[in-house]
Amino acid sequence: MQELAKIYGDTLLLDKKFNYCPGCGHGVVTRLVAEAIEELGIRQRTVSVVGIGCGGFSHHYMDIDAIEAMHGRSPAVAIGYKTASPDKIVYTYQGDGDCSAIGLAELLHGANRGLPVTCFMINNNLFGMTGGQMSPATLENQVTATTPKGRDVHVHGYPLRVPEMMADMVGAKYVAREAVCDAKSIRKAAKSVRNALQCQIQGLGFSFVEFIVPCPTGLKLSVPDAYKWSREKMVEYFKPQVFKNEVGQNNEN
Amino acid sequence: MKSETLFLKNTQTFAEAMVRCGVRYHFAYPITPATEVMKHTAVILPEYGGRMVQMESELAVANALAGCACTGTLGATSTSGPGMALMQESISFMAAGELPCIMLDAMRVGPGDGDIVGAQSNYFQATRGGGHGDYRVIVLAPASGQEIVDLMPDAVKLAYTYRTPVLFVIDGVTCTMTESAIFPEAHDYAAGFDTSSWAYTGTADHEKRFLLTGSYTHSQGEEMNERLRAKFERIKEKEQRWESIQTEDAEVVLVGFGIHGRMGQDLVANMRAQGKKVGLIRPITLWPFPDKAFEQLPESLKSVLVVEMNHGQMLDDVRLAVNGRVPVHFLGKTGGDMPLCTLADMTAQINTLL
Repeated sequence: MQELAKIYGDTLLLDKKFNYCPGCGHGVVTRLVAEAIEELGIRQRTVSVVGIGCGGFSHHYMDIDAIEAMHGRSPAVAIGYKTASPDKIVYTYQGDGDCSAIGLAELLHGANRGLPVTCFMINNNLFGMTGGQMSPATLENQVTATTPKGRDVHVHGYPLRVPEMMADMVGAKYVAREAVCDAKSIRKAAKSVRNALQCQIQGLGFSFVEFIVPCPTGLKLSVPDAYKWSREKMVEYFKPQVFKNEVGQNNEN
Repeated sequence: MKSETLFLKNTQTFAEAMVRCGVRYHFAYPITPATEVMKHTAVILPEYGGRMVQMESELAVANALAGCACTGTLGATSTSGPGMALMQESISFMAAGELPCIMLDAMRVGPGDGDIVGAQSNYFQATRGGGHGDYRVIVLAPASGQEIVDLMPDAVKLAYTYRTPVLFVIDGVTCTMTESAIFPEAHDYAAGFDTSSWAYTGTADHEKRFLLTGSYTHSQGEEMNERLRAKFERIKEKEQRWESIQTEDAEVVLVGFGIHGRMGQDLVANMRAQGKKVGLIRPITLWPFPDKAFEQLPESLKSVLVVEMNHGQMLDDVRLAVNGRVPVHFLGKTGGDMPLCTLADMTAQINTLL
């Protein structure tokens, strides 16, 4: 582990047992966040506020302090934290259920408030931890544990696009949607993670990145098929793009 | 800030008292009659280097307060009934996470939206909690502006000593009353507590730590509950507070908190002047309930009368404390143009019991 630490730095806890399912996209995003923290040299002043769901595990693989908030409330907790400790770097790590179902009000008001905190929304388009139920991001006609005949949009509404709602908010300074479905998209996602944290370091305002990730277990697909499904179906509806980038440097997107 | 006497509405007194005792961040959402507190802190907190932060809901308020508390910094909130209902999730979270903070419920009539006039309708909610699981928070019930000021240093000390939310419940009648209070010299009582052993301030000076109110193994959940239970037992043993007046030879003891406790002080004086043996127990902590005040009831006691601005909530705790030794009667009302029992109502009821 000592040798690996020389390559990967101190943020990633490489000897920690992994709780994510095989093929889970969380593993990729967690590593991208850890690498950005390492690269930006902010590990010791970074605090993660994690949501309820599989994303709640994310901080266990990093040598940073963390707060496991109540379901959906991470952005409000982060705002209270940042108000009292403005010199700290605070980011939330939440799933699409945590962010866009139960916690949408806290997320959008957090974005609009414009306090420099960062929210990462990991969108696997269903409730993973509870066993693959419909989330707001579930696609039309998609079969889940609670939509056995597919999501009927006339009953359950339409798949919710979250960053689009923030694009017009003055307080939100970096808003992006990325995917981690192949090497190319992962490299782009890495840039967005850095930009979002850089936005906070510079004190510009709120920053947000959504990640389209596969959940093979929840989707009941093999790992390759889950990646293929996310790359084709998810990305078609949730188009990866940088909606807004007011970060002065690293403006590469 | 030097010692001074101020003539303020008691909601403003609450704001002044908490800021003078060390609260620097006040998270709130407008609701009658608690709004006056945030109006006041919006003005005075910047003078102390702090800030009032208005949030989008009481859900967000209580969670921002939790976030503030995670840094070790003393934060506060103030609300009234329906807002208190929305905060229950986070109060349970803060109790489980052992996060110190100051809260106020300026009680109004319930249930539902209820009414904006004062009441004591949230005794159950405050002392039992509407949140999830086996938890308690310390509940203080001052009966005047001066008592708000006098209790505030203790509230901050209790919050940090036991690492717990401390909840003031004040009936809306007391809250909206304007009266004088003597403020001692300002002192940041929170600053006297070292939070470095537990605050989540980043790993620069400590090993990784994280706030977990859930459990990854079933035994973790049990351990958390056992740890909290031991703490609640310590608080119950050490922190019961009440005022007793002339209970030693009383035939009837009146039990009331807040405005009814304050009226009880006059009632006892009036009835004693007529030679009637009436005493008063005024709980100041509602949790822990002052059971000890009822341990030494005199032989002369015929009955107890509980008076509340609700339909009988503290009544349950008084009955548990009296434990069948004498009959416990109740007088109470909630809502209306006169939302409390008058001194005449209380006197008439006691006369039937003597």
